[in-house]
Amino acid sequence: MIGHENLLWIMLILPLCTGAVAATMPAARKALAVMCTGILLTAGFGWWSVVHVVCHGTLFAASDWLFLDALSAYNLAIMLLVFSLCACYAYVYFSCELRRGQLTLRQARLFTALFSGSFSTMALVLIANNLSIMWVSLEATTLVTTFLIYLHSSRQSLEAMWKYLIICSVGMAFAFMGTLLAAAAAVKGGSVEGAQALLWTHLVGRASLCDPMLMKAAFIFLLIGYGTKAGLAPMHNWLPDAHSQAPAPVSALFSGFMLSASLYCIMRYLPIVSSAIGSPRWATNLLILFGIVSLLVAAAFIIFQHDVKRLFAYSSVEHMGIIALGLGLGNAGVFTALFHTLNHSLGKTLAFFSAGRLGQIFKTTDMGQMRGVMRISRVWGFGLFISVLALIGAAPFSIFMSEFQTVKAALDAGNVTAAVLFLFGAGIVFMGVLAHLIPVFWARNESDVSLVTTGLLEKFLVFFPGVLLLFLGIWMPDFLHGAIDRAAAIILSGGN
Amino acid sequence: METEIIAMYAFSIIHMFVGFALAPLMIGIVNRTKAVFAGRTGQPFLQPYYDMVKLLRKGAVYSRTTSWIFRAAPVVGLACAVAALAIVPFGNAPGLLSFEGDLVFFAYVLGLWRFFLVIAALDTGSAFEGMGASREVQFSAMAEPVLFVGLATVATLTGSLSLSDMIAGLSLPLAEIVLVAAALFVVFLCENARIPFDDPNTHLELTMIHEVMVLDYSGPDLGFVLYSAALKFWVLGALIIGITVPLDEGLPVWASCGYAFLGMVMLALLTGIVESVMARVRLLRVPQLLAAAGALAICALIFSMR
Amino acid sequence: METYIEASVILLLLTDIALFGTSRLYTCITIAAVQGVLLGLIALFANAETFIPRIIVIASIGIVIKAFVFPYLLKRTIRQAGVQREIQPFIGYLSSLVVSLVLFGVSIWFSAKLPLALGAGRSMIIPAAIMTMFTGLFLIVARRKALTQCIGYIVCENGMYLFGMVAVGEIPALVELGILLDAVAAVTVMGVAMYHINREFDHIDTDRLSSLKG
Repeated sequence: MIGHENLLWIMLILPLCTGAVAATMPAARKALAVMCTGILLTAGFGWWSVVHVVCHGTLFAASDWLFLDALSAYNLAIMLLVFSLCACYAYVYFSCELRRGQLTLRQARLFTALFSGSFSTMALVLIANNLSIMWVSLEATTLVTTFLIYLHSSRQSLEAMWKYLIICSVGMAFAFMGTLLAAAAAVKGGSVEGAQALLWTHLVGRASLCDPMLMKAAFIFLLIGYGTKAGLAPMHNWLPDAHSQAPAPVSALFSGFMLSASLYCIMRYLPIVSSAIGSPRWATNLLILFGIVSLLVAAAFIIFQHDVKRLFAYSSVEHMGIIALGLGLGNAGVFTALFHTLNHSLGKTLAFFSAGRLGQIFKTTDMGQMRGVMRISRVWGFGLFISVLALIGAAPFSIFMSEFQTVKAALDAGNVTAAVLFLFGAGIVFMGVLAHLIPVFWARNESDVSLVTTGLLEKFLVFFPGVLLLFLGIWMPDFLHGAIDRAAAIILSGGN
Repeated sequence: METEIIAMYAFSIIHMFVGFALAPLMIGIVNRTKAVFAGRTGQPFLQPYYDMVKLLRKGAVYSRTTSWIFRAAPVVGLACAVAALAIVPFGNAPGLLSFEGDLVFFAYVLGLWRFFLVIAALDTGSAFEGMGASREVQFSAMAEPVLFVGLATVATLTGSLSLSDMIAGLSLPLAEIVLVAAALFVVFLCENARIPFDDPNTHLELTMIHEVMVLDYSGPDLGFVLYSAALKFWVLGALIIGITVPLDEGLPVWASCGYAFLGMVMLALLTGIVESVMARVRLLRVPQLLAAAGALAICALIFSMR
Repeated sequence: METYIEASVILLLLTDIALFGTSRLYTCITIAAVQGVLLGLIALFANAETFIPRIIVIASIGIVIKAFVFPYLLKRTIRQAGVQREIQPFIGYLSSLVVSLVLFGVSIWFSAKLPLALGAGRSMIIPAAIMTMFTGLFLIVARRKALTQCIGYIVCENGMYLFGMVAVGEIPALVELGILLDAVAAVTVMGVAMYHINREFDHIDTDRLSSLKG
């Protein structure tokens, strides 16, 4: 029997081991298979720990340096979902490339090693109790995923990689400064010893002693820093480039979880900042501002897109904005924000899966040339259709529910301006995306792309997230409601 | 107490004569240092004296196109240099003419000297000298603010506007002093036409500044120009040494003057070393160098005002 | 000890200003390395009385990484790319110096705003740390070459390291090692990225990487 605290260690170490094994495999397909197995196996252990947290409460390990509470368990569940889907999809996606001879053994090994490595680093972001370790691991995700963008050596992907690397590194530098300022605020308030200054569990109980002025400065840096990595406008410049140039499994991973991981870091600071300042209003107003700006900027840019992956990238900016807005609205808003994180991860993963596979079939992701996808590949066309409908907030998918609840939360909070701007932005996105994509679905196709068949795994990859999106939109199970409630309670625990 | 003050002023007077006597020696030290670095034996330390004596014994030649300005400039220049020498303190001895606000006077005495040199260069009507004059004006226009900001820093630190009081009252907040000294050293190199701003050795090259302005002088006039340049070296050097070398106020005046003299020798050595290891920068880069010095001085000023 | 700390801080400020006005990439790398050494020295001086082995070890590791590993990596990149200087940056060197003064003023203003608990004689370190951060950010924004941006990242990291050292005090060794490791990894990744950029494009001018728009 494995001790429960060891589960956390397994999540960090097992992917590294399987990644290393995968990188030594003699054939690309074997490497991918080993990686998939490793990720799925680790995900199994991950689910075990999540279930343990749901049933028995917070899990600690490594003398409190690692921990898993309701908030991180919820995010971990999303991460495991996204990673498992992405790993399976990567197998499908790269198998096709292997058949066409577009993927060398070296690239396959690089991909498997880095993909497994990014699992470990992202898991560490979620389970680190020490705020600076959290920062270190989020920075590590940047570094590990950099070369994933440049997997297929092309000039555009190189450019996207450099932008991603520099902009996110600078963003992370800001976040580091914010972390230091937060630690300084804790030390100044005399609430903690130096060595414990950044242990979250230690800090959150004593946050009211922290210096408010320093904490405000810290939060500004943190919001800009982690916001850069989360793709909040106006720090989102790297995002469309990286998402459009990376291979589809990587884009799906970026949008599906990496952005949320960065927002998770901001969520961790919210209770501390709120109780240090004495009221959550200051921090939440900033979040509302960034959320609305992201929403509107994304809406404006979506109108002019030609590339379907770029379109989805801007849609990610929009949804990150919605999550930030939800966090800013407080109470019901926080619940919606967390729910929306799950919905967006599912929807965007499916969207990039479909866009990537269809891109392979059409050999382009330019929407002008992808025509009539429904006639070419029923399964992936259907996947794209479902995900697009979900992402633009059409009923009855779950994103509609969470967006609806966000508006409701805004009106409940008396913030009519936010609600109006939100509806305005979401409306533009709705029309813009549909205008772009309706021809993609049904227009007559003149090119010589022939009908393709899809395997069982591919069907699963489309239907599982699709059905989940629909299911969550119609009925929310009690255990999920409870889990989100407990996670939201952690974010709301400060300053009320 | 009485006697000490008298002794101090006695030393102020003595400093004048010491300055008169030893200023060319500094030029000799610089030249000798450069020679040693280049692997030569080099000229004797006293060579500048020999040169000046030689020049004083010769007759002067004047171009027919020049006016009285050309003849007056060397004399005015020497007078200005002497006036500047009377203001700067040396060791614990205050300047002979020290008064409140004399730092402005100090800067403008040097400015007057430059002004006459420039209009004398223009007076010759030579395009070549006009070019040198224009460069001199351009660079000194940038060097002068640096000098002022540097002195203003010291003034804010000590709350005094007289060079002598400023330097006597300096109690070494290290940070500002290092910055000011670095800035003033750059000004020192620029004002004395040293590498990296100007190469005192390259006559008749299109790049030089100071030497080209005095090309038409000969005989005693050239001697005066060279001598006042040596005095300027001494005066600005004494200022830097005064700011950077911390002296205990209890020190006997003669000992403090000894230290200050040692400092001057070190400064001359340093100048020689800088000249040996650096190349003259391109003219376009000179403003950048002076701006960097200005940045240092302004940094120091910001610090001193905290 | 306070004198030595103060002297190191002044030297750090001077290196910052030098970075604003330097076009030679080799010189920039050397200056960044000098900064690394200065930071290590400040850490050592600040703890000279207490003599904690952990701090000495970490400061030494920091010095080795910043003074030898980074310059080695970056100089190798220079040799591969065959670039010597930053020609025609977005903001000229003269204007850069003016900007440096403005940023210096801002960093003093900002540090005066932060109510930090500092020891006596340490008041100058915070402005210097913030100034160093600004310097790094400025290099990233105002220069074209990928290499200069990488140096900017290192310099920015230097500033934050100093800030953390003074403002937070005791950081657990594990965290500090993690941060150092991250910095090394980041510079290595950037070095490899620059190698690829140079191989693909025959230059490392980031402003010419502009095919992706909108």
